[in-house]
Amino acid sequence: MTTSISLYIPGDSGLHRLYPITKLLLALALTLGGFIFPVTWASYVIFLGIILPISIWGGIWKQMVWAVWKIVLPFAISIFLIQGLFWGSGTVLFYIGPLSVEKDGIAFAFASVGRILLVIGSFLMLAMTTRPDLLMNALAKLGIPGAITYIVVTTIQIIPRFQAKAATIIDAQRSRGLKTEGNFLQRARSLTPLVLPLVLSSLVDVEERAIAIEARAFNAPGPKTILIDSVDTQNQRIARYIMVIIIILMIGLRLWWLLTSAN
Amino acid sequence: MSIINSIKKDFTTRTLVLISVAIVINIAVGQLIFTLKLPIYLDSIGTVLVGALAGPWAGALTGALADIIWGLTINPTVFWFFYVAAVIGAMAGIAAKMGVFERSSPRWLSALIGGIFFYGLTLFILSLTSFSREGLIPNAIDLTRQNALVFIIVLFIGLAMGYFFLQKAGYAGFAGLITGVVAAIISAPTAAIVYGGVTGAGTDLLVAAFRASGAGILASTMAQGAVSDPFDKMVSFLIVWLIIQALPARFKAR
Amino acid sequence: MVVVDISELNYTYPAAVTPALNGVSLQVEQGEFLAIVGNNGAGKSTLCYALAGFVPHYFKGRLHGKVLVTGLDTQKVSLGELVIRVGLAFQNPFNQITGAKYTVFEEIAFGLENIGVPREQMWKRIETAMELTGITDLKDRSPYSLSGGQQQRVALASILVMEPKVLVLDEPTSQLDPVGSREVFQVIKEMSERGLTVILVEHKVEWIAQYADRVVALHEGQILIEGKPRDVLTSPLLSERGFGLSRYTMAAREAREGKLWPAGLILPVTLQEAVDGFSRQKK
Repeated sequence: MTTSISLYIPGDSGLHRLYPITKLLLALALTLGGFIFPVTWASYVIFLGIILPISIWGGIWKQMVWAVWKIVLPFAISIFLIQGLFWGSGTVLFYIGPLSVEKDGIAFAFASVGRILLVIGSFLMLAMTTRPDLLMNALAKLGIPGAITYIVVTTIQIIPRFQAKAATIIDAQRSRGLKTEGNFLQRARSLTPLVLPLVLSSLVDVEERAIAIEARAFNAPGPKTILIDSVDTQNQRIARYIMVIIIILMIGLRLWWLLTSAN
Repeated sequence: MSIINSIKKDFTTRTLVLISVAIVINIAVGQLIFTLKLPIYLDSIGTVLVGALAGPWAGALTGALADIIWGLTINPTVFWFFYVAAVIGAMAGIAAKMGVFERSSPRWLSALIGGIFFYGLTLFILSLTSFSREGLIPNAIDLTRQNALVFIIVLFIGLAMGYFFLQKAGYAGFAGLITGVVAAIISAPTAAIVYGGVTGAGTDLLVAAFRASGAGILASTMAQGAVSDPFDKMVSFLIVWLIIQALPARFKAR
Repeated sequence: MVVVDISELNYTYPAAVTPALNGVSLQVEQGEFLAIVGNNGAGKSTLCYALAGFVPHYFKGRLHGKVLVTGLDTQKVSLGELVIRVGLAFQNPFNQITGAKYTVFEEIAFGLENIGVPREQMWKRIETAMELTGITDLKDRSPYSLSGGQQQRVALASILVMEPKVLVLDEPTSQLDPVGSREVFQVIKEMSERGLTVILVEHKVEWIAQYADRVVALHEGQILIEGKPRDVLTSPLLSERGFGLSRYTMAAREAREGKLWPAGLILPVTLQEAVDGFSRQKK
């Protein structure tokens, strides 16, 4: 049985060892950079020039590129087709039968795909090299309530078990004659007999699991300690301050542009 | 009750575990739908359930974390819609406080609700797209007359859906429909700005159709959402209604 | 020294009409190994919850009477303070894994982190707990990749690491296979021999008969009978209500009908007693 599903890929690179918040801020700063600068190729430059090299440093560039490809491709196809063919205004590049491919539409599609690439890429850069529980610990130190960090890590871990439970219920109902293939009506009818048992049995689990963590002093008064923690360095702290300043500057710049161009 | 107390009341240890389990239910049911190849998402059952059982704040948190976790584990693209999911959870909680999940409605009322809603929705979509095309807000009567056939079909679909589908869950289904419309509206800007108005899924054909008729990007995205989201949320609320009806009393004493 | 003192405990769950426990009085000595038997719905789990303070703090409901554990009144002290003195484990191994940690080692540390134990002290305590439960070689594994019996032992280690004065176990082996059950019983026996007060709810009567100091039989929220295992487990009060008899007792009872059990010899509760009795008859 798989132990948990997440994007995290274990490793020991410099990127892995960076303090989680450093990586989080980096992803944020890069993503904002792509959105703030109104130049189509800005996102592509950031992705190829910054994110990809960092991923190579982290030893995860192959997985990242593969994941990005898998995720962005459907979007890219859709955007180019829809916004390219149905833009409705501006110069026409060429005709395909009754449909026209407009320059503005293609430009828009390029910019959009670039942005998605950037968003996904920077996010994966963070998620693939950071253990979720360590990220949550770091966030907890910044003041995010322990309740939230608990929910995130626990949920990720129990997903495979529930998928297995769902599979068991499907088998059990099938053996009782439930039809899950066939025409639309049959498939739609099979929905309730599958969902209801899954949810109801899960609610029983909720009770027991809540008692179990209470029995482990989850709500004990007083400060908590952490057994295993990420290592932070002075250089990273400085870098994070700089990144926060850059982010604020970028947002300010964008707002200023918006205001001045509105005149 | 002050806001802080209202929030605190929603969050016991049991609630936290419930939220965690509900998020997994979102994922498990969403994947089940995918295997059954049904034309619906149904990935908010857990969110709606928490809203119904533990209140709006808990529902909102469930929605937000669900999208964040889904983004961290399965598909990073849904991450940006966390605020939409939060609103869905909150609205489910508010609907629950109004008793929507506990009361049964007579079937004719469900039919009526279905009919009126679908009529209103079609009106909304058509005025949205024609506004975006021509810059004028059209008159409802004119629109109805111009597209009479469409409206008649839609009305029948609405009546049938209400009667056969919703049956006694009229109130819940209606709450779901409203939630779906709100979700479509507030998710459109993000979809348009971050993702260029598409989702990479089959519903993009709707976007293409709207764009072909001359509507702007934001309007097309919103229209596409308005077609798929209300139905999706209506079914989600319906299923949660069934669940709540099936729950023994002690689960509801929270 | 009395470590658990329950007097006239009467408790009703919030949504219920009839009380789950109806006038239960019980005292447990330090270091004692007490077993609780009873039908489903007799109130065994409720009693466990009452010992650890979940009744009334977690379940709310209406409680009358008094429950004193390690000198503390469970109604006057918070749940957080009680759970570090009374460890509670129950049936489903999977639900006792918090899910918040990726390795067994860290899972065990969860409780220590919550009560604020300094990091330097944690390592030794965790290692001790792992040795006691025989799971040291599992320390880097994910808790979710383990068998039921292993998970149950991790749950036990996670509780024992907090050094409770009383260990309460609600049917810890009922979802385990024979191997898992044996592993868990081994740990429980070991802890009892080390002087920990153990309160165990169990259906596997043969095992209780061998190791428990005292048995309490619950029925419909009240104590039916209590005493030495042999006295309680052969009592007709239990068999009349359909529980508590070990396989050996049942076999010997049948045998006695057919004159195959020595007349006048008390019925066996353990395997050894059964073997002795039957071999005597053979002669």
